[in-house]
Amino acid sequence: MSAEAIADAVPTAQPGPKASTRSRFAGLRSAKTMTGLVMFGVFVLAGAFGPLVWRKDPSALSNDILQPPSGAHWFGTTQTGQDILAQVLVGTRVSLLVGVTAAVLATVLSLLVGLTAGYVGGLTDELFSALANVFLVIPALPLVVVLAGYLPTRGSLTVAVVISLTGWSWGARILRAQTLSIRRRDFVEAARATGERPIRIILFEILPNEFAIVASSFLFTIVFAILTQAGLAFLGLSDVTTWSWGGILYWAQNNQALQSGAWWWFVPPGLCIAVIGMALALINFGIDEFVNPRLRVQKLGPKRARRMPMAKSRPLPASRRTDVVLEVTDLHVNYGEGPDAVKAVDGVDLVLRRGEVLGIAGESGSGKSTLAYAITRLLRPPGEVVSGSIHYWPRGEEPVDVLRMSADELRAFRWAELAIVFQSAMNSLNPVLTLRVQMADALTAHRPGTTSQQRDARVVEVMTMVGLPADRADAYPHELSGGMRQRALIAMALVLEPDVLVLDEPTTALDVVVQRQILNQIMALREQLGFAVVFITHDLSLLIEVADRIAIMYAGRVIETGSASELYRSPQHPYSDGLLRSFPHLHGPRKVLTGIPGTPPDLRIIAPGCPFQPRCGQAIAACTTTMPLLLATTEGHQVACLLTQPRSSDDDEL
Amino acid sequence: MRYLARRFAFYLITAWAALTLNFLIPRLMPGDPAQALLSRFRGRLDPRATEALTAMFGLNNESMWSQYRTYLADLGKGDFGLSFTFFPTPVGTVIMDSLWWTIVLVGIATVVSFVVGTLLGIVAGWKRGSRWDQLLPITTFFSSIPYFWFGLIVLFVLSGELRLFPLSGGYSSWLSVDFSWAFLSSAFKHAILPGLTIVIASIAGWLIPMRNMMVTTMSDDYVVLAEAKGLAPRRVMLNYAARNAILPSVATFTMSLGFVVGGAVLTEIVFGYPGIGNNLYQAVINEDFPLMQGIFLIITFVVLLANFLADLVYVWLDPRTRVEA
Repeated sequence: MSAEAIADAVPTAQPGPKASTRSRFAGLRSAKTMTGLVMFGVFVLAGAFGPLVWRKDPSALSNDILQPPSGAHWFGTTQTGQDILAQVLVGTRVSLLVGVTAAVLATVLSLLVGLTAGYVGGLTDELFSALANVFLVIPALPLVVVLAGYLPTRGSLTVAVVISLTGWSWGARILRAQTLSIRRRDFVEAARATGERPIRIILFEILPNEFAIVASSFLFTIVFAILTQAGLAFLGLSDVTTWSWGGILYWAQNNQALQSGAWWWFVPPGLCIAVIGMALALINFGIDEFVNPRLRVQKLGPKRARRMPMAKSRPLPASRRTDVVLEVTDLHVNYGEGPDAVKAVDGVDLVLRRGEVLGIAGESGSGKSTLAYAITRLLRPPGEVVSGSIHYWPRGEEPVDVLRMSADELRAFRWAELAIVFQSAMNSLNPVLTLRVQMADALTAHRPGTTSQQRDARVVEVMTMVGLPADRADAYPHELSGGMRQRALIAMALVLEPDVLVLDEPTTALDVVVQRQILNQIMALREQLGFAVVFITHDLSLLIEVADRIAIMYAGRVIETGSASELYRSPQHPYSDGLLRSFPHLHGPRKVLTGIPGTPPDLRIIAPGCPFQPRCGQAIAACTTTMPLLLATTEGHQVACLLTQPRSSDDDEL
Repeated sequence: MRYLARRFAFYLITAWAALTLNFLIPRLMPGDPAQALLSRFRGRLDPRATEALTAMFGLNNESMWSQYRTYLADLGKGDFGLSFTFFPTPVGTVIMDSLWWTIVLVGIATVVSFVVGTLLGIVAGWKRGSRWDQLLPITTFFSSIPYFWFGLIVLFVLSGELRLFPLSGGYSSWLSVDFSWAFLSSAFKHAILPGLTIVIASIAGWLIPMRNMMVTTMSDDYVVLAEAKGLAPRRVMLNYAARNAILPSVATFTMSLGFVVGGAVLTEIVFGYPGIGNNLYQAVINEDFPLMQGIFLIITFVVLLANFLADLVYVWLDPRTRVEA
C-alpha cells in the first residue's frame, strides 16, 4: 500500500466554510456517539468506584464453590469460591488502565513520529514513514507475544508498554498524512512566513486541526490494547494474579468453567470487552462523521430521487409554441426542511426553445448550479424540489413533467433526451474505467439492442466530432490533459444525440485558449446537430457572445432575462450591469472594470425587499420593503427591479 | 512496473527489519532471558540444545556483528535452530508441518470475510439511512469480541452441547493426512467452526470502511454523472461507486490482515487446530524461544507475501498505479 493511497483513504478534516458550527458538531452529538459515551462512562465509573462499593476481595477464597449468580454473589463464584463480580470490577479497572496507558503511550509516539515526519519532510519523513510502515506490516500480536515471552516480569504497566510499542504505527501514519495536508494550507504558510517557531506552529496551528484524528486513533488503540492484553493474559503471558478481564478468562478456561456449566464465570469478562469495544467504536463513528461530513446520514439515497406527487402537477396550456423543448415553471428548491430551509431556487421560470442557447449567469451561490441539478433531478439530500414543474417536449409529442416521471421513465429520459456536462472534468470521469467503457455503457443502457461493434463505432464517431483522436478511447482519465477530458465529457454527452445539453460551467477550469476552442466546438456541433443548450456560467461576457437569450440569477431568482444582444446593449438591473462590468469583453469597446461591491447574500437570512438592495448603489427606500417582481419592460425583456418598474423614470441614469 | 518494484523493495526492507528485530529482542531484553532460561533448565536440557541456545542468543562471547552474520547465514540456509519442545526436531520442520493448516484455514476465512464484508458494505453504503445501517452496530459488536472468547462459546454450544461439530483438532486422528475424501471431509468439518469464528469476528473490519467509502464516493461527480447517464442502479453502484470505493479497502489490507492473523492465532489455540498458532502457544508455555521466534518470522513473511498479493490486486484495480514514469 502506498503512502498516497493511504492519504487518499484518510479523509481530511476540512469542513466547508459554509458549515455552521452547529452542523459541524452534529456528528458528535448523534445518538450513536451519545450511546457510546454513556457506555464508556459506565465502565469508567465501574472501574473507578466499583471496587469501593462492592467491597469483596476478588482473591478471597470461600466455601461457595461454583455458585450461580445470587443475592450474595451477583455474578456467582469461581471454583475456589471467589466472587466474580469483585473480580470483574477490579478487572475493569486493570483492563481500562492498561488500555488507556497503552493508548496514551502509543498516541504520544505516533504524534512525535507523525508530526515530525509530516512537518519536517525530506529524509526525516522518508525514514519515519518507513519505520511506521514496517511496524504496520509486521503482525502485532505475534510480535507482542515474542516480546512478552522474554519479559522477566509481566506486570500491567510492562504489558501496556509492550502493546504501545506495536500499536503506534497506524496513528503515526494518518497523522503524517494529515500534517502534510495541513502544512500546505494558508494559515500555516502564513505562520511560517512570519517566522513563528516550528514547535509553536505544530502545537498551536497544526495540532488543533488534528484533534479528531488523534482522538479517533486514541480510542482505537484503547480497544486494540484491551483486546491484546486479554489475549496475552489468556495465553498466560501477563501476570494473571492481577485481576484483569483476560486474567479472569485465563482462570476460567484453565478450570474448565464452560465445561462445568459455569457460564457466569466465563461470559461476563468477554462481554465487557465486546461492549467496551463497541462503545468506543460508536464514539468513533461520530468522529468519522465529524471529520468526513459526507458520512452524516441522510435519509434518502441518490437513486431514490424524489418524485413529485402526481396531484400537484399543473396542467400546461394546451397549445404552446411548438418550438419549446424545455419549460421550467415556478420551480422552488430548498436545502433542508422546515423553518431552517434555505431557498436556493425560489420561483424560477425558464423557457428553452429547440436549438437555442440559453445562458444562465450569476455569482456562486446564486442558485444556478442547483437549478441545473434540479432540471436533471440529480439533487442530493438535503436539496429538494419543493414545487414547480419541468416540462420536456419530445419531438411531436405531448409534454411530460420530468419531476413526475417514474424511476424507469426518468432513467430512459436521462442522457437520451437531456445530457449534462459538469464543471470539473477530472472529477466527472470515473478514474478506473477507460473512456470507451464510460461512453459505451450509456449506449448499452439506452439502446440494449446494439452490438459492441456498433457501440465502438459510435464512440469513435463522437470522439472524432469533438476533436479527440480515436486511439484515446482506451485511455484512462488520468492519461488525458484537462482539455481532452472536457472534450471527452462533451463527446460522452452527445453519444445518444440528446435534444438538450446542460453545460454547468464547462470550461471554467481550463485556460483561456482551450476554453475558446472547446466553446467554438460546442457551438459548431450545435449548428450541426441542432440540440438546445442551457449554458450556466458566472462569466456574463462569455454568454453575451454565445447565447441567444440570457437569464441572470441572484439569490435563487431570475432577476433579468432577455436576448443576449439586448442585455449587452442595455442591461436594466443594476446587478446585471455590475456583472457586465466585472469581466473584460473579448470584442467591442473597452469598459472600466468595476465589479460589484459586497458578497452574495446569505440565503439563510430572509429579509423583506430586494435581495440585491444591500449591495445596490441605486437602491431607493422602497427597495428595502418591496420584493420586485419579474416584469416585462420591452418585448422579450423582463427585469425584477423597482427602478425599472411603473413609477420609475430614472431609467436613463443607469 | 515501478509501483510494484517499489512495493517489493519495501517488503524486502520490512523482512530485513523483522529479521533484525528478531535478532535484537532476546539480546536487548532486560534480565537476560536466555541465561535465565538456561539456568532454569540446567541438567534437564540435552547438551546439544544448550549449545544451540548458547549460540543462538549470543552467550558465547562473540561480537554482536559476528553473531548477526551467523544468524543471517543460518536463516539463509533455512536453519531456525532446534525446538526444545519437540526436541530434536528443527524449528523449520515443526513450522512447515503446521503452516499449511494455518494458511488454508486463515486464507480461506480471510477471503470469505473480505468478500462478504465488502459486499455487505457496498449495499449498506448504497442504501444508507435504511435498515442496512443496523449492520454497523451489530458487526462492530462482533468485531470487538475477543476471538478466543467467542470461539470457546461457539465450541461449547455447538460442539459440546449440541455435538454438531468436532471438539478439537484439524482432522479425525485415525485418518492419515492425504487427499482422500475421508480426510478432506473430516478436515473441512474441523475447519468450519474456527473459520466461522474468524469470519464473524473480522467481518466488520471490511464492512465498515467499505460502507463509509461508498457513502463518500457516492457524492463524487462521476457517480452523479453515471446516474445522469440513466444507467441501471446496479451498474452505478458496482462499476462507479463500489469500483472506486474498494480501492482504500485493498490499500489498507495490511492493517486488517494484521488483526485477523493475531486473532487467528488465538482461535487456533481454542480449537486445538494443528496450525502455527497452536505451535506458538506450545512454544510460549514451554518457553521454547527458538520455536517462538521462528514462528514470528514465518508469520511475518507470510503476511508480507499476502500484502504483496494485495498490491497486485490493487494494481489490477487502479489504472493510475500503472503509470510508467
